[in-house]
Amino acid sequence: MIPLQYELLLSAALFCIGLYGILARRNGIIVLMSIEILLNASILNFVAFSSYSGNPSGQVFALLGIAVAAAEAAVGLAVFLSIYQTHGTIELDKVRFLKW
Amino acid sequence: MIANAWVVWLILLLPLGAFLVVGLIGRRFREGGGYLVVGAMAGSLVLSLYVFVQVLLQGALGGSFTETVTGYVWLPSIGGAEIRISILIDNLSSLMLVLVSFLCLLIFVYSLAYMHEDEGKARYYAEVSLFATGMLGTVSADNFLQLLIFWEIMGLCSYLLIGFWYHKPEAAAAAKKAFLVTRVGDVLFLVAVLIIWIEFGDLRFDVIAKGVGLLSPHLLTLIPLLLFGGAVGKSAQFPLHAWLPDAMEGPTTVSALIHAATMVKAGVYLTARSFIFLVPLAPGVEPPFTAILVIAGIGGFTALFAATMAVVNTDIKRVLAFSTISQLAYMFLGLGAGAYVMATQASRGEEVNSAGYSAALYHLFNHAFFKALLFLSAGSVIHAVNTNDMREMGGLSKAMPTTSKVMLFGSLALAGIVPFSGFFSKGEILSVTFDAGADHPGFYLLFAFGIVTAFLTAFYAFRLWFMTFHGEYRGHEHPHESPRVMTTPLMILAGFALVSGLLAYPMQGFGNLVFFGRPEAGFPLVGIPWSHYLLEGTALGVAVLGIALAWSIYATKRIPAERFTATRGGAFLHRMLARRYWIDDVYDAFGRNVVVGLARGLDWFDRNVIDGIVNAVGRGGMRVAVQSDVFDRRVIDGAVNAVSLETIRTSWRLRQRQTGQVQSYAWVIVVGLVVLFFLMFGQRLVERFLGGP
Repeated sequence: MIPLQYELLLSAALFCIGLYGILARRNGIIVLMSIEILLNASILNFVAFSSYSGNPSGQVFALLGIAVAAAEAAVGLAVFLSIYQTHGTIELDKVRFLKW
Repeated sequence: MIANAWVVWLILLLPLGAFLVVGLIGRRFREGGGYLVVGAMAGSLVLSLYVFVQVLLQGALGGSFTETVTGYVWLPSIGGAEIRISILIDNLSSLMLVLVSFLCLLIFVYSLAYMHEDEGKARYYAEVSLFATGMLGTVSADNFLQLLIFWEIMGLCSYLLIGFWYHKPEAAAAAKKAFLVTRVGDVLFLVAVLIIWIEFGDLRFDVIAKGVGLLSPHLLTLIPLLLFGGAVGKSAQFPLHAWLPDAMEGPTTVSALIHAATMVKAGVYLTARSFIFLVPLAPGVEPPFTAILVIAGIGGFTALFAATMAVVNTDIKRVLAFSTISQLAYMFLGLGAGAYVMATQASRGEEVNSAGYSAALYHLFNHAFFKALLFLSAGSVIHAVNTNDMREMGGLSKAMPTTSKVMLFGSLALAGIVPFSGFFSKGEILSVTFDAGADHPGFYLLFAFGIVTAFLTAFYAFRLWFMTFHGEYRGHEHPHESPRVMTTPLMILAGFALVSGLLAYPMQGFGNLVFFGRPEAGFPLVGIPWSHYLLEGTALGVAVLGIALAWSIYATKRIPAERFTATRGGAFLHRMLARRYWIDDVYDAFGRNVVVGLARGLDWFDRNVIDGIVNAVGRGGMRVAVQSDVFDRRVIDGAVNAVSLETIRTSWRLRQRQTGQVQSYAWVIVVGLVVLFFLMFGQRLVERFLGGP
């Protein structure tokens, strides 16, 4: 049985990688992928605590999280596709029209 | 008691109603409502006669009759008695009601033909009807205020009717002149009424007559003089006589009705009513002899003064106007002399003899008939020859036989030839004046004035008649007799000119009809001292002389008229009389220079001082407004603008933070979370890792 600390450290590492991707990368697709990593980090936390405490509701919540992530990816990709069609780019520092 | 006393209201209300109806919708009637007005006046006459006969039967013969028909309260008590609109029925007023309504009726009938071709006849009939209301109201008022009100209604109608042909500048000017000149007298009258109100707290004649003894001697002199001032204006006595000759610009019927037969008599009537002041019947009161002398003096002077001006005038109506002034002055002379005799007798405690009072009103009565006759005859002549100028008349007795005969009757009555009416009343006035001379020698002078006036009166009356009807026609028209509807009233009036003087006989003396004080004994010319026959014979003699002179100058031309103006003195006299002693010129100059100058001065004051103050206030206001505008713009608006500007600036700065960059927002979220985390758990972390207290 893998100790809980390792699982939490892995989850934290994944979260930091995702956070870095969101904040630092310019490409919209990569940002979406980073969000997936963030979500997976939290799902890993749910699973870890579920197996640690023997409470299965964490695993149920993990399945819900995967479904949400899939929906989020679909919506996000559709948004970026639409942005690309109208502006010809998905570089986030060039997509500046969401302001006054 | 008068049976059916309410009918006296109808005497006033019938012409008033006719005025309202004709004034509003007169144009829709035939003859502009003339028949309606005549009908209303006939109703008034019948009712007046009804009242008059009752007064006669119930004590007027040989005594007095007085009854007040109480009307509604017009002004409730204001520091005195309440003022009611009431009608006084006594010997004098019932006689005046009959006289006025009778003359009005005849003249209205005459007007049906005379005004037939006039465009504005509806206006004419409305105005004369209102005038009739005013005159009837004046002679039947039971207090001074009511009398003043109706008096002013007459003044208004006089103004309107003189200016009836208002498109003629002379008529408009004459109307204005009449209104302004009579106004001088009206103001004096108003002052008298106010003084009476202050002194008595009541304006009714009977109440005042009882309280006259309480007046101070000064007021007892002042009040009748002020009342006489009103009479001087209305009756055109010197010095307010100037308006009456010019009033002849109105239609001749108006001249006959208002400026000869009725309205100008109101002054005499008022003076007769003011006998309650002149001859206080309360014992121990000193009568106001000064006031009486003023009245008699102005009367005697004006009689001569106006007669001289009539002698040279060539306008047929103006001759009659001057004659009216002169005859009215006779009445004032009679009233003054009679009052002096009565006042002397009363102060001595003797029986008073109201001969002068009744002689003056007798003359009023007779003069109303013969002067209306003369004016209407003149109107008939003017109607035929289309001019007022006697130099363009002459020889009209062939073309107008009826008019010439009735005018001869009027002239004989005016001249005072027995048995025409003027003889009796004029003779009595002169006798009374002579009698008063025994109490005050000044009356002998006034008597002399009266005799000279009688001579001049006969002269100008027949000068008028000969110039108009005798000799050859000098004009260019084709004169013809007037229609029946005009000549019938003339013939009726001619009958009265002949017999109205004799009417006193069946009444057992005219004094009974106008009763004042104690009964006056007897018949005219009967039971009087022999000296009076001499006096009346003198008056008759000078009148015959005057007629003879007129005959030899204007009919046979044995004495050429030019001879009188041949010498320098004669020419000057003629010019002075023709210019009416320059009094009109003086009044005009006074009006033009003094009044207009005063008005100019006031205008200057108004423009420069009053307007200056107003403008300065306005300018000051504007300056304050400008300052307040600046304050408003700079301070108030500045504060508002500064707040909004700062808001805009702040929001602009904040807007710079909205980059639209998703990742910068994400940074904010993350940093915010970290800060939040440390705020929530920071303390515990510090305790855990660094060791707490």
